[in-house]
Amino acid sequence: MHGVSQTFGSVRALQEVDFVASSRAIHALVGENGAGKTTLMRILYGGLQPDSAEITIDGSPVHFRTSAEAIRAGIGMVSQHYSIISELTCLENLMLGAEPSWALNKAAAERRASELARQMGYSFEWKAPAADLSPAGKQKLEILKLLWRKAKIMILDEPTAMLSPGDSDALFASLKQLAEQGATVIVVTHRLPEVVEHCETVTVLRAGKLVASKAVRDTNLMELAELIVGHSVATSSYEALERRETLFRATGLTVKGYRGDDAVKAADLEIAEGEVVGLAGVDGNGQRELFQAIVGRAKVKAGSISFAGSDWTKRPPSERLADGLRLIPEDRHAEGVIDDWSLTENAALGLQRRHGFARGPLIDQKGRWAAAQHIADRFRTKHGGLNAPMKSLSGGNQQRFVAARALESETRFIIAFQPTRGLDIDGTALVYGAIREECRKGACALIVSFDLDELIEQCDRIVAICNGSVVQPGSGLERDRAAIGRLMVGAT
Amino acid sequence: MAIDTGLLVVSTVTLSAPLVLAALGGLTSERSGVMNIGLEGTMLSAACAACFVGLQTQNMWLGLLAAVVVGVVLMQVHGILTQAFGIDQIISGMAINALAAGATSFVNKGFLTLGVTARPVLLPKQFFWIAALAAVFLIGVIMNRTRAGLRLSAVGNDPDKSRQMGVDPIAIRYLALAATGLLCGFSGALIASNAGSFTDNMTAGRGYIALAALIIGGWRPWPTLIACLGFGLIEALQLHLQGTQLAGASVPTEFWTSLPYLVTLIALAGLLGKNRAPAGLGRP
Amino acid sequence: MKGLGARHIALALLAFLLVWAAVVATKVPPSEAVRSFIDGSMGGPAAWRQTFREMTPLVVTGLAVFLALRAGLFNIGADGQLTMGAAAACHFALAFPGPTGLWLGSLAAMAAGAAWALPAGLIKAYRGGHEVISTIMLNNVAGFLTVWLAAGPMRDMKQQSPTTRLLDKGSFLPNLVEGGPFRLSLALLIGILGVAILAFWLKRTVAGYELSATGANPSAAETAGVNVRAVTIKAMMASGAIAGLAGAFLVQAFEHRFYANFSPGYGFDGLGVALLSGGSPWGLVPSAFLFAVLSSGTSSIQLTGVPKGLNGILLGLLIMVFASVRYRRSRTVGD
Repeated sequence: MHGVSQTFGSVRALQEVDFVASSRAIHALVGENGAGKTTLMRILYGGLQPDSAEITIDGSPVHFRTSAEAIRAGIGMVSQHYSIISELTCLENLMLGAEPSWALNKAAAERRASELARQMGYSFEWKAPAADLSPAGKQKLEILKLLWRKAKIMILDEPTAMLSPGDSDALFASLKQLAEQGATVIVVTHRLPEVVEHCETVTVLRAGKLVASKAVRDTNLMELAELIVGHSVATSSYEALERRETLFRATGLTVKGYRGDDAVKAADLEIAEGEVVGLAGVDGNGQRELFQAIVGRAKVKAGSISFAGSDWTKRPPSERLADGLRLIPEDRHAEGVIDDWSLTENAALGLQRRHGFARGPLIDQKGRWAAAQHIADRFRTKHGGLNAPMKSLSGGNQQRFVAARALESETRFIIAFQPTRGLDIDGTALVYGAIREECRKGACALIVSFDLDELIEQCDRIVAICNGSVVQPGSGLERDRAAIGRLMVGAT
Repeated sequence: MAIDTGLLVVSTVTLSAPLVLAALGGLTSERSGVMNIGLEGTMLSAACAACFVGLQTQNMWLGLLAAVVVGVVLMQVHGILTQAFGIDQIISGMAINALAAGATSFVNKGFLTLGVTARPVLLPKQFFWIAALAAVFLIGVIMNRTRAGLRLSAVGNDPDKSRQMGVDPIAIRYLALAATGLLCGFSGALIASNAGSFTDNMTAGRGYIALAALIIGGWRPWPTLIACLGFGLIEALQLHLQGTQLAGASVPTEFWTSLPYLVTLIALAGLLGKNRAPAGLGRP
Repeated sequence: MKGLGARHIALALLAFLLVWAAVVATKVPPSEAVRSFIDGSMGGPAAWRQTFREMTPLVVTGLAVFLALRAGLFNIGADGQLTMGAAAACHFALAFPGPTGLWLGSLAAMAAGAAWALPAGLIKAYRGGHEVISTIMLNNVAGFLTVWLAAGPMRDMKQQSPTTRLLDKGSFLPNLVEGGPFRLSLALLIGILGVAILAFWLKRTVAGYELSATGANPSAAETAGVNVRAVTIKAMMASGAIAGLAGAFLVQAFEHRFYANFSPGYGFDGLGVALLSGGSPWGLVPSAFLFAVLSSGTSSIQLTGVPKGLNGILLGLLIMVFASVRYRRSRTVGD
């Protein structure tokens, strides 16, 4: 790819970017959120039409108007959230878009599918609905989809985002095998250890521009980090915390999952005043259900939740919010903001009955405006006026706004699910700094993340969740990477 | 009370056939993710077209053809409005129903009642049954055993992911809507042929009953057929039982006519099994 | 507006051509049709009376649908709720002649409308069943039920057609302006007052904010501490109550009786009125006026030989063109 440029509205997402990848190797494409990695790959995959670009494959120029054309040219892409449709079976997902003929011969397809799986050392229940697959299973099915389509260029967008460390290693082993068989593998990632450990070449993007493109053996972790951010990276420091009064307490908490089984099993968790507790775990081990139970949206099957002496177990979300619960939800668009509403209106979301936002049954218009101003300024949210709709903001700026809102008024308990999703390093530092400051003033926080390193860097203490059970590391090991890593996968 | 069982079966099947065809039309559309409350208007327009052309040419087969053309055109309008213009699917369906009610009444008052006295040869009843049964069988095979069916349900469940897999959701939906139009065209022509002439609002809510059968049938062809037969039976019984007494008290016809709607409400309340609506229904 | 371009203009033009072609096809000279349309809707006292009469139920049902729409609910059931409300209002007005019947009838109409909307609210809140489907079903049941009522228990046997007897004069809803060219019913004023109240409530109260949040993003609303189920059920019932009141107004102010197939589709038109109002409740007033003009205009145009069905054609096309500009659903775009 040569001279790729892309603008969205007034934003220049990519400026004259060059990208080269050769076959039989794994290439890493790294950069901060919003650096243009995904945009570049979507152009290659035909999902976006660039303003200008010369793309050549094997020396011949190509131009893809749709993904279907890119697929025909041997390009395959696995997106971060997988393109597996839960309602279809594994076999149907495998075939979709690349069915051999108009009539489906499911028996023959299953034979070929099993053969592909055997080559990779996988096994699948082909007739089962894809909804039953674990994240690792979905990732494997995605790789088989690439093989089914005979893709020669394979793009994987943040492939390890939802995988455990063990599954990630297995994935890279599979990718290495594919590369050795002649494929061109491109991995988009923000996890630098993966790059150093598994990839041959690396391309760094920053703010839509090409910063560096080099062989991995000629660089190192620190250099890559600096290339990505543009300046040297400071690591945070810690002061030990004296234990104070316990504010949040979950006892024997059991929550039913979406599939009817117990997603959270008899979990015990205590958080003291001033504490920032991290909940480490591989995606899909009950974090969502635990989060929703604390918020009050998921029914508690057994056990209890209490906060500062008041029993929350059967309380609706509104009363928990009144007690000072504040959220940074996982899926911003689904739970955190209303895209079409103005920043001012969004500022009140969740705080609409709080002092400063309401006076009795009426909306406090002046108070709300002032609060919105404060929320937007706190983490330097870039916006086009407080009356502009939320959707006019970039993802990272929306996240800054949502995080600032959670800290705005009478905050006593912050529960955050992947709070730095979409944030750059600067934003991450701001948000965690503010959470810690709020906790020092008497609040407490529970941070759910799939990124153990981030938790180790930012939290006072970490507990692990594995298959619905919350496990505490032994005394003195609350921030020990190896110990918690073992707990995350159920080893003791 | 004496009911001629043979006659009851015949009228049940005959009354069910248009419902089956329309419900299957709803199935192709809704399984592709396009909500379709415009079935009623499409059937009504098709019935009107069948009458108009059937009377003019004295040939109901040509009437059937006209009905199919009108059905397909209207459903493509639904497609253009919802896919190209991005109008909410319910609003578009409502607009189509309003337009169809107005236009058919307009044509009826303005052109149909004038001058034509002879009635055309009607479509044979057996044709109804064969068409409906064949449609169920065909749709069943298409949904389960063909590329088209797989892509249709993929698009209906998740249009965005389908697009990533190189399936064009928009094209699939236009195609599905064309099938809806075709089936509603048949359905409307059958209703017209059954009545022999056009009257305003002659489909009388059958499009909604078809939608109801589709919901009760869980958006699957064979169960939908059974639901349609059930509703057809209610309609037939109502014709047969008119004036007779049940358990000593006369049951008003209004009760029987309401029955399909009441059953559907009960089904919606979840008392008849779980909701199986396609996950992407209504998503642009 | 973003994305508004040639194709929207083409759509509007096409719609206009279609209407024009329909008129031309009837061989009525277009100029005569247009003159008759204007004469019948705005050309003189009788025409204005007719237009304002039509406008009254449209403002009120538009209000009902608008409220539900803000909560994310398509209340297609306004027609059934209106019919049930009309039957209830008529029953109480007949049972208690005089002002008592007027008051009791209005309350009963609101209760009946709310009750008729309740199943749809419950099904939506607890089962996730689409309110469009359930309200369509409820409309049909209401239609048959009230036909039976008008032809059976409530019927005045002295009449040829299935209808009740006339209300006592004391139970009539008085006119605001009597005599002269502009006879205005009190009902229209109450409807416009309702618009003002709704506009204030939505913009300035926490409850209005929570209802709008529920409509805009139920999941975000619930996370923000809104009891989405309760809001859904309450909004549906409030919408039903308002639609029921529209039925009461029709009985008390205009028809003074109840009969079979009472509503010529005011509930459905209410949906059109609400859609055409744009984002603000205040838009309901001009929108209802436009619908009323179309209705009285096309009634009058019949006399020249253009069938009344033109009204449906106009409404359908109007909604299509307008919705193409406004009620678009944005495509979901991945991260």
